[in-house]
Amino acid sequence: MAGHEPALELRPAAPEPPRLQRAEPLEGDAVRARQVQGEPEVGVAAFLDGIQESRVLAHWPGGVPVVHGTVAATIRRRRDRTLVAWRPEATRIERALFVPRAALGDIAWEALAAGCALRDTLESEDRGPWHPLDLTARALSAVQRRREAVEVQCAELWCAEGDGPLFVDGGIAGAGTAAHSPLAVGVVKSHRTLYVDGDTLPLVLGLGEGERTTLFTVTSPRRAPVASWYLRLRAPAAHDALWGLVRVEVALDGATTARADLVSRWLLAERAPVALPDPRWGAMAYGVRLTEEYLRAVTR
Amino acid sequence: MPIGRVVATERKPNTPHEFHFWTALDAPVGIGTIVRVEGPPTSDGRLVTVYGVVVEGFSYTDLQTPLHDVLGADGDPAGAMRAPTDRTEIRLYTAHALRHVPDEPLQPVPMGSVHLASDADVAVALRMDGYLREGQRTAIPVGVYRSGAMQSPIYLDADFLLGPEAAHLNISGVSGLATKTSAVEWLLGSIFAHFPAQKGSVAAVCFNVKGPDLCFLDQPAVRLDDADRALYEAMGVPAEPFRDVEYFAPWTARGHALATLRSNEALAHNVHPLSWGLREVLQFAEVLLNKDDVDAKADALIDFIRERVVNQEFSDSLLERAHTVRSFADLEQWFRELLRGMEGRNAETWRTHHVATIRKVRNRLTNISTRCRGLVTDDGTSNDLPFGAFRDRAVYVIDVASSEEDAQDLIFARVVSQLREQLERRTLGVDHVVVFVDELNKYAPSDGPDTYVRQMLLDIAERGRYLGLVLFAAQQFRSQVHRRVVGNCGTALFGRMDMDELATPGYATLAPATRVKLSTLDKGQLMVRHPHFAQPVFVRFPRPAVLSGREGMERYPAEPEPMLEVAVTRSLRALDPSVTLEWVKQAIVAAPEDDVLRARNRTLQARPEDVKAYFRAQFRGRALPEQVAVRPSALPLAGAGSDDPYSF
Repeated sequence: MAGHEPALELRPAAPEPPRLQRAEPLEGDAVRARQVQGEPEVGVAAFLDGIQESRVLAHWPGGVPVVHGTVAATIRRRRDRTLVAWRPEATRIERALFVPRAALGDIAWEALAAGCALRDTLESEDRGPWHPLDLTARALSAVQRRREAVEVQCAELWCAEGDGPLFVDGGIAGAGTAAHSPLAVGVVKSHRTLYVDGDTLPLVLGLGEGERTTLFTVTSPRRAPVASWYLRLRAPAAHDALWGLVRVEVALDGATTARADLVSRWLLAERAPVALPDPRWGAMAYGVRLTEEYLRAVTR
Repeated sequence: MPIGRVVATERKPNTPHEFHFWTALDAPVGIGTIVRVEGPPTSDGRLVTVYGVVVEGFSYTDLQTPLHDVLGADGDPAGAMRAPTDRTEIRLYTAHALRHVPDEPLQPVPMGSVHLASDADVAVALRMDGYLREGQRTAIPVGVYRSGAMQSPIYLDADFLLGPEAAHLNISGVSGLATKTSAVEWLLGSIFAHFPAQKGSVAAVCFNVKGPDLCFLDQPAVRLDDADRALYEAMGVPAEPFRDVEYFAPWTARGHALATLRSNEALAHNVHPLSWGLREVLQFAEVLLNKDDVDAKADALIDFIRERVVNQEFSDSLLERAHTVRSFADLEQWFRELLRGMEGRNAETWRTHHVATIRKVRNRLTNISTRCRGLVTDDGTSNDLPFGAFRDRAVYVIDVASSEEDAQDLIFARVVSQLREQLERRTLGVDHVVVFVDELNKYAPSDGPDTYVRQMLLDIAERGRYLGLVLFAAQQFRSQVHRRVVGNCGTALFGRMDMDELATPGYATLAPATRVKLSTLDKGQLMVRHPHFAQPVFVRFPRPAVLSGREGMERYPAEPEPMLEVAVTRSLRALDPSVTLEWVKQAIVAAPEDDVLRARNRTLQARPEDVKAYFRAQFRGRALPEQVAVRPSALPLAGAGSDDPYSF
């Protein structure tokens, strides 16, 4: 099904500009650095991750890209130091053609729909003409939204029926009901948006290994507010200042200093084994890497 | 329930003969495990089943380099142990196909589910089903294949072990682990228990070449445990010693006792002397004479002596009288008179034989009785194996452990020749004979001179199966044995092997893991190759149900060579329990030791009804057999009953 062209995710894309965004302190009156109290301890019961892959299969007349996308998410539960499938419905895999219906035309849409699942990459109010690259970018966004959607389905399932903390690769603010669950712990590895202002930036970048910031609130118009903090998993040494740094998200309700320390201890415990050879190993838990590998194995 | 899945990649593809599969980490699979692969139904509805044996195992994780693990543990091994998640690990096995069902078309092994082989699977996988069928059963248990809690008896096909389809068995293994001798003892017991009646009778001739290894085959083992007994029961072999065993050994150089460690009087009842006179030895003079000795001229003279001089009256103008040469002493007398006659006439040749050749042959032949003292008698008396009266399921042990190399060679050559001749004529008494020889690398080395014994072993290996003459041979280093000998052995057993030996080309076909397993086998474990088995399999066999050599020596210590009177008393008492030491002392008083021993030997050979009278008669001159009644021999000798008192 996949074409010979590289995955869209691997193509150079116009980068989202990095930015600083001030966050409201939740633990004290200002964001500060502090040592995580206590030794690392094992607390995470399961890992949630999702993957996506999309390729342009063909170009319809008029330069309309026909993109095949695969999205998947799963929860891998830890049992006897080994990750195993939690339950069948906690592994979700979707494959579809992502095409702009308005650009394609109804006849072509119906013809394609007879053979496979289709997803429209345009909003109902979108009107052409469209730049072909814009259509490709919209397809990629649509795939990404589906990936986030299946991740949310899995997270909500765990938070409803699972037992124990769930390590979610990425934030939980957009994870529906999971954003309010005490079971979900979101771990964000990318930092294009840093939730600091100019005064606290040096403090975050200067966190030492095993140190965290105090809690602050992350809010977004279309997402649930969550409690968050930065945690330095590994000393950056010769790497850049963001290396080994994660931002943790938990439900706002119950977000106390003690809980932040407890969750931080869980995350510090997940530093071993290292997620090498993944280049993101400085901030990536091995459980996340295994979950990702599992998804790649079952989707190929 | 499947325990694995067949996998194949472009780099590691499956073939019709080799496939790969993965299992759970705790699956009961190891090197040597037999598995069954069930392939998915083909488009035409066929189900393909493939049986295989695991020959290699791999384990790896997703680590790209060990350095990553060091980094993850901050250089502290204990830190790695604290990791909350173990690295993903795989158990990947390589198996060699044993059998495809159906056989055709022979295709690469399908991507099927892998199961541990059941009892029935093992029989099919090793093609034993063909000879386990009721009514056509020719199965000989060789051991059990173990997998988890399952024990499956493994059988050899008698048609391929004892002929006529194939034959012979070779066993290799390092010394000191009691594997080679134990395996042969066990297998002989198994053969005796399971050799099918319709295939006739079978006996064994074992050459004990070192220590007391085979000296107690008729005595029960003391160390059989429940596990051993369970193995015997599983394979339907009685856990008991051999019921019918006879021992043979040459005399010691002094001649007072037999040269065997089975010298305890409690076990003397079935120990017999092995001694030969001129006639028996001259047939095999080539064994003791090297090529430099026996040139064409010498060979011609030896042939002349054998055909014209020995055992018949011979007259010649050079001789002072007619000679009837029956012993080495007679031969020496004949040579002496002949050479004297030639010197008297200043003759350089006699009947085309040059005087130098005559002197050389005299020297070499008369020397034999010295070189093989104890085995070869000067006086022509002979005690031999009961050729012509071999018994079904009997074991005849020839103890040559204390004999010189020349004597060992002579014994081997003559015994095997007799077996061969009599099997050809169907006069041996049994239809099949297993000849067990240890230290085969000594008798049939891969290099070195082409000896008579090696030629004989080659002959057995290549043609013995048609006659029922089967070679069971053992050695430490198979690579040092002549290729044609081991190559003709249909069945091969391997105990624990030396790594250096395993590095030789003969083992190149084995997978590295199989070689490593061979180098670490426990006592009681064997790897078996058999014509029906597409791949070697590992089996366990029980301890032999006979007393081991070491334990036998503790229970029945060897006795020191006795004084002459005591030795004679013991020998004669075996024929007549009323013989006492006092009687012997009186009977031999003032007689030279050589005469006493000669009298004893003649009495043992004749086995007279009146032992005392016959023995005494020896000191009054040569006794004629018709003067005394001869008792029926328990071990009748070939040709006995003729007028010739030296006949046998």
